[in-house]
Formats: sequence, structure tokens, C-alpha cells
Amino acid sequence: MKLILPDRDTRVIDPAPATVEAILQREGINPLEVMVSRDGKLVTEDTVVGGDDEILIIRISHGG
Amino acid sequence: MDPVTIRTDTPACTLCGEPAVILQRHTGRYLCGTHLLADVGQRVSETIDSQQQIVPGDVVAVALSGGKDSTALLLLLHSLFGSRDDIRLVAVTIDEGISEYREATIRSAEDLVRRLGVEHITVSFLELFGDSLDTILKGREPQACSICGILRKKALVVGAERAGATKLATGHNLDDEAQSVLMNVLRGDLMRLVRNSGVDSNGRFIPRIKPLMYMQEKEIATFLMVQGIWEDLPECPYATHALRREVRSMLCAIEYQHPGTMLRLMENKKAVEAAFLGKTVGEPVGTCRECGDPCSGDLCQLCQLKPSLLR
Repeated sequence: MKLILPDRDTRVIDPAPATVEAILQREGINPLEVMVSRDGKLVTEDTVVGGDDEILIIRISHGG
Repeated sequence: MDPVTIRTDTPACTLCGEPAVILQRHTGRYLCGTHLLADVGQRVSETIDSQQQIVPGDVVAVALSGGKDSTALLLLLHSLFGSRDDIRLVAVTIDEGISEYREATIRSAEDLVRRLGVEHITVSFLELFGDSLDTILKGREPQACSICGILRKKALVVGAERAGATKLATGHNLDDEAQSVLMNVLRGDLMRLVRNSGVDSNGRFIPRIKPLMYMQEKEIATFLMVQGIWEDLPECPYATHALRREVRSMLCAIEYQHPGTMLRLMENKKAVEAAFLGKTVGEPVGTCRECGDPCSGDLCQLCQLKPSLLR
């Protein structure tokens, strides 16, 4: 599974099924502070992802 | 080993069964893009109506930095009132002069007003105070947010006055408002805690309204994302110095574990406001002896700050 972090750092992670929430927790990210897409489509934090999914984490900038 | 292909469907929208884009943790509902847009529009409209934030005859100055909150605010107000003859919207942008930050958001603001056909006024710190914020803050970066807050407040009022505004709408969201409540409690600042800037003070200042005050930051970001107008804009470089940053992180963690915490903070603020209704906390609103603006005490914050700006 490919994981793209808010700073655009990309890494390949274990393809075993996991919730988006679990992946965010491993990265120390609060799900309320980001949006997450799987293969270009927004998903909720309790969505199970895995396999060859591409997960993009988008930081919600504060202010404005 | 070949990668394992696993496709697990996204949770479905509680209202229609389409793939959900957001879990509204405080209601427990899943919403698809279409129903999120409808829900945000309806809740903002209810906030405006319940507080009579905007009424026929109003000229609404919409504070538009070009960031996500003010962009969503102008889009929503334009969809609600853009075709009304008895309500006028004017976008007001403040150019503080923050390099590598404000240029991008101002460009975004200009694109938006052009697309919507909304009148646009820009006021700069350079024009009003003789210097950019970057210059003013040299050597006192830790005070950035308090100094900028005072100057921005004045600049917004000037912009709103130039627009002939009867209301000044800002894009403060639920996260911002709940953070402010908690910060005022932490500082022991009862006066700010009970103050309601949406109340008309006998025409002495333009009432401020906050139509997004019950919208979570994530709802606003997702609202823009599903419409394809989310822009990954930079954050203010001075925000690192603010107490707000620490409070935001703490409150967000609590909200995630205990959904509804931010809303409950707002309910508590309303209860405290109601308890102090009609009572004067701190000094009554007076008039600044230097500039004549309404203020508590005899010298407004801007006039207190001005001597140090002329270093």
C-alpha cells in the first residue's frame, strides 16, 4: 500500500487491511486535522484500506 | 510476493447510501458529498436566521483572506443572498504584508470574487499603518498574533466602513470559537468570555457575525474539497508563536475522543453570556481619547500600540 504524507513524503507500507484511523494513529496524526483520500476519493477514518491502495493524507491548514 | 488487492467499500451515506466522504462524529452520521453540501448550507442558514445575523437592507462586508474558511463563507453567503436585491455582499481583504504567505491567499481571494462577481475592497497595513507586518514585527515575533490582531481589527473596520457595511461577517469556525472560549478561561479573561461582538452597540460599531461558528474545520475543508475548490495554501508563519496553537492541538485531541466537546464549550459560553446579560463586566464601552473609536478604558488598544510602532 502506498502512503503519501502531508509533506509529500511517500512510503510503501504493509498491505494488510487496516483502518485509515489506525494508519493515522501510527503516524501520530489526529483524523480531525486531515482529510484522507484512497485512490483519489475521500474516505472516512473508519474505512478499511489495504492491498495496492494509494492513500493520500491532506493536512487541513488552519486559519483563513 | 504480489501485492494483495483488497477493496473494502467506504461506509455509506446515512441519508442515501452513496459512498460517504465524512463521518460527522458529533451526530454519528456518515454523509456523501451531496448531503454534506446540503447539510452545511442548511446549518449555516439556520445559524444566520436564529441569530438574525443578516436581515433585509443589510450591506454585509465579508472578511475574505482567501483561506479555506473565508472562501467557504463567501461561497455560502453568495449562494444564500447573491440573488437578493435587498442584501448586498462586499468582500474585504486585508493585506498585512506577510511575505511568502499572503500573496497566495490574496490571489485566491481575487479569483473567487471575480468568479462570483462580488465587489471587492482591499486594505493594506502599509496604507493604514505605514509599514508591512513583517517590518512592524521585527524583533517582537513572539507578540505577532496579539499585535496583528489589533491592527487587523482596525483594518477590517476601515474596509467595512468603506463598503458602507451594516454587518461584518468573518469565517470563524467552531474550532476557532471553542479555542477562544478555552483560551479565555485559561487566561481568566471573564470580560472576553462574556462579550458578544454580534450585538449592536447603539450604532457605535459594526456588528460582527460568524455564520460558520457551528461548522467544524474538517467539515469546511471537506465542503471545499468535494466541490473541487480546495487549495493547499500555506499557514501564517507567525502562528507558531501563538498559545492558540497549543490549545488547538489539545482541544482537537479531546474532541476526537469525546465528540461534541467543542459544541458543549459553545453552549457553556452562551449560558455564561446569558447569566451576565445586561450586566457590565470590566469597564463599560467608552471612547478612545486619541481616535474616538469605541473601547474599554480611555485609550483603545491600537492607540496604546501606536507609540511602539513608531520606533
